Amino acid sequence: MRTYLTTASLLLAATVFTAGNALAADPGITDTEVLIGDVEPLTGPPALLGVAASIGHKIAIAEANNAGGINGRKIKYVLEDDGYVTARTIQGAKKVIEVDKVFAMLGMSGSGQSIAVMPVLEKAGIPTVIDVAPVKFLWEPARKNVFVVGQSYEEGIIHLVNYLAEKNPGKKWGLITQDDDYGITVRDGFDSVVKAKKLNVVYSGNYKKGQQDFSSDMLQLKDSGAEVFLAGGIIAENIAMMKELEKLNLKPVTGIFWPGRIEPVLKLMGPAGDGIYAVDYVEPFASEAGKAFLDKARPLVSEAELKGINRYTMTGYAAAKVLIGAIERCGKQPTWACTISELEKTKNVETGVMAPISFGPGVRFSNQKLQIMRADAATLSFKPAN
Amino acid sequence: MRTGDYKQTYGELVALIDSPPVWLWSAVLLLALIVAPYALNAYALSFLTIILITVTGALGLNILTGYTGLISLGHVGFLVTGAYAYAVLVSKYHMHPLVGFLGAGVVPAFASLIVGAPSLRLKGLYLAITTLAFSFIINTVILEARWLTNGARGISVQRPEILGISFDGDAAFTHLCLGIAILTLFATLNIRRSRVGRAFVAIRDNDTAARVMGINLHAYKLFAFVTSAFITGISGALYGIYLSFVSVEGFPFLLSIEALAILIVGGLGSALGAVLGAILIVLLPEATRLVFSLFSGQLDATFTTGAQELKSMLYGLVIILFLRFQPRGLVGAWHDVRRTWVHWPLRY
Repeated sequence: MRTYLTTASLLLAATVFTAGNALAADPGITDTEVLIGDVEPLTGPPALLGVAASIGHKIAIAEANNAGGINGRKIKYVLEDDGYVTARTIQGAKKVIEVDKVFAMLGMSGSGQSIAVMPVLEKAGIPTVIDVAPVKFLWEPARKNVFVVGQSYEEGIIHLVNYLAEKNPGKKWGLITQDDDYGITVRDGFDSVVKAKKLNVVYSGNYKKGQQDFSSDMLQLKDSGAEVFLAGGIIAENIAMMKELEKLNLKPVTGIFWPGRIEPVLKLMGPAGDGIYAVDYVEPFASEAGKAFLDKARPLVSEAELKGINRYTMTGYAAAKVLIGAIERCGKQPTWACTISELEKTKNVETGVMAPISFGPGVRFSNQKLQIMRADAATLSFKPAN
Repeated sequence: MRTGDYKQTYGELVALIDSPPVWLWSAVLLLALIVAPYALNAYALSFLTIILITVTGALGLNILTGYTGLISLGHVGFLVTGAYAYAVLVSKYHMHPLVGFLGAGVVPAFASLIVGAPSLRLKGLYLAITTLAFSFIINTVILEARWLTNGARGISVQRPEILGISFDGDAAFTHLCLGIAILTLFATLNIRRSRVGRAFVAIRDNDTAARVMGINLHAYKLFAFVTSAFITGISGALYGIYLSFVSVEGFPFLLSIEALAILIVGGLGSALGAVLGAILIVLLPEATRLVFSLFSGQLDATFTTGAQELKSMLYGLVIILFLRFQPRGLVGAWHDVRRTWVHWPLRY
C-alpha cells in the first residue's frame, strides 16, 4: 500500500511540475522558433485578397528571418485556408491556436469572418494584429489583445466623396452599391457627405452580390445625367460597370473604393478605367514607396507569389512588421502579456507602405491616413492625385 | 442454431433498440460523448460541435427527403431563418434563450408552409427548384428587413444561459448541442415508427397507393415540411450561436448541397444514416489531410492552404463513389457487414 501511495505521490508531483513548466511560457515559442498563425481565404474568388495578404506576411517574416529572426529565433508562418466560410475561419483559428500552438496571429480573413472569430481570439488572449478587413466592430469596443491596422470603410468613402465633391462642384451624382455589409457602409458614408455638402444625387442603385450584367443599371445612370459616379462594386462588378459605360460612350468622373483598387483590374477595364479615382491608405505601386516595396519583395518571394501581390500585400506586410517589432522588443523571453503591452506602445512605426502606425493605451485601431490616387491605363497603375 | 435476426412480435419490430449489447454500446457511446468535451482540445472539439449541429440539421432534412421523398434544395433557407429568429429574439429583444430556440423552430415552420403549399402539386425536380427559390427569397427578405434583421450587417449572438447553466464554454456548448441532437434523434426515430412515419414512407414509395390507403397527402406532406423546418431551424440557431455572428453570408447555398450529400452518403431514409453521413462529411477533409500528412509534409501543406477547393472535390468524389458502389449509403454498408457477421460462413 505504501509503495502505491509513494508511486502515486511521485506521479502527482511529476504532473504538477510538468504543468507548472508548461504554464511558465506562452505557446508558440521554442529555443529556435516563433510561430505566427494566420487564417485567410486562399481558395475561391476572395483568394485574391487572402493570398495577397499572406504574401505580405511572408515578405515581412522572410525579411526578419534574413536579419537573424526575432532575437535569434526564426519565425515560422502557419497558414490555414478558410475558403471565406465563417465556420471554417473559427475552426482554422482554433486549429492554429490549439493544435499548431502559435504565439501570435495575423490577418483573419474578411470582415464577417473577423467579427465571428473575435470571441475565439479574445478568449485565447493571443496577441493578434488584423490587417485585411478593418471594420469598426473589431476595435469598438477595444479588446485587450486585438489590434487593427488600417482605416474604416466609412472614413474612406467620406474622404473620397469629399475630394470628388470639391473637385466637381455643382455636378450631378450617381451611386451604385452592393446589397451587403460592404455596400451599406459605402452608402452610409456617401449619405453623410451628401447631407453635409448638399450634393445633387440623381441616381442611386443597388445590386445583388454576384451580379455580372450591369447594362440596365448603367443605362439608368446615363438617363439620370449623372456626371460624378461612385462605383460601389468590388472587382468584377466595377470592371463590368466601366465596360458598360464605355459601350454607352459615357465617361463620368468615377470613384472606386480600396477593395477594388487592384492593378490587374485596370488591365481588365482597359481604356475605360483610365482616370478613375480611388481612395486608399497604402501607397500605390507606382509611387516611390511602392516601387521600393516591390524591389524589397522580389528576392523574398517566388515568381508566382510576386504576380499575386496587390494592395493587400502591403497591409499584410505592415501588420506583420508591427507584430514582429513588438515581439522583438520583448527581448529573449517574449510572452503574450509583454507582446500586447509592446503592441500598445507602438508609436509611429515606419513600414514604408503606409503612413506611420501607432496604437496607444486603450487604442487598438491605427487609424491610417488616407490618400486619393488616380488610374493611369497606359501604365496600368494608380498614381497619387493632387 | 440461430440463422437470422427475426422479429416475432410487433413490439420487437418497432423497438428503438432490439438487443442488450446495442443498449450497452449506445450507453458507452453516450458516456464517451459526454466526457469527450473535457478530453478534446478546442480544435477537435469544434469538429464534434459541428458534427452534432449537422446531425440535428440532417435529421431534420431526413424527415422530408429521406422519409417522405420530397427533395429540398433550399433547406439552408430554414437554417438561416432559424438562426435569425434566435438572434432577433435573444440578441435584439433580449428574450430568454428558450424562447429563442422556440422561435428558431416555429418561424421556419411557418415559412415552410409557404414552400410546402406548392409541394402539394409539385414533385421531384419541380419541387427541388421551388425550395431552391425559397432559399434565395428568404435571403432577400432578411437583407431588406433591416429594421428587424440589421440587413447585411448581421447580428452578434452570445452563448446562452439556460436554467442557471451557462453554455459560454466550448465544452458546455457542445453538451447543449449533444442534448439537442439526442432529443432530435429520438424524436425522428419515434416519428418513423409511428403512424405518421409510416404515412411518410408510404407517400415516398408511392403516393397514389398511399392515397388509396386513406393517407391525406396534403396534410402529411405539409406536416413533413413543418417538422423538418422546425428541426432545421433549431439546428440553424445552434449554428448561429456557434458562429457568434448571424449574417446571410454565414449560410451559403453550399450547405443545402452538403446536407443532401450527407443523406446520400449516409443512406436515404435512415436516421442512423443521417448521423453516419454527417460524421463522414464533416470529418472527410480533416481525415484526408491527416492521412496525406503521414506520407508527405508538402501534401499536408497543400491541404491546409487549398482546403476548401479540395473539400468540394472530395464531396463530389465521395457522392459519385457511393452512388456507384454503395447506393444504400453507409447504413447499407453497415447492414452488409452485420449480415456477413451473423451468417458467416454462409453467404445468406
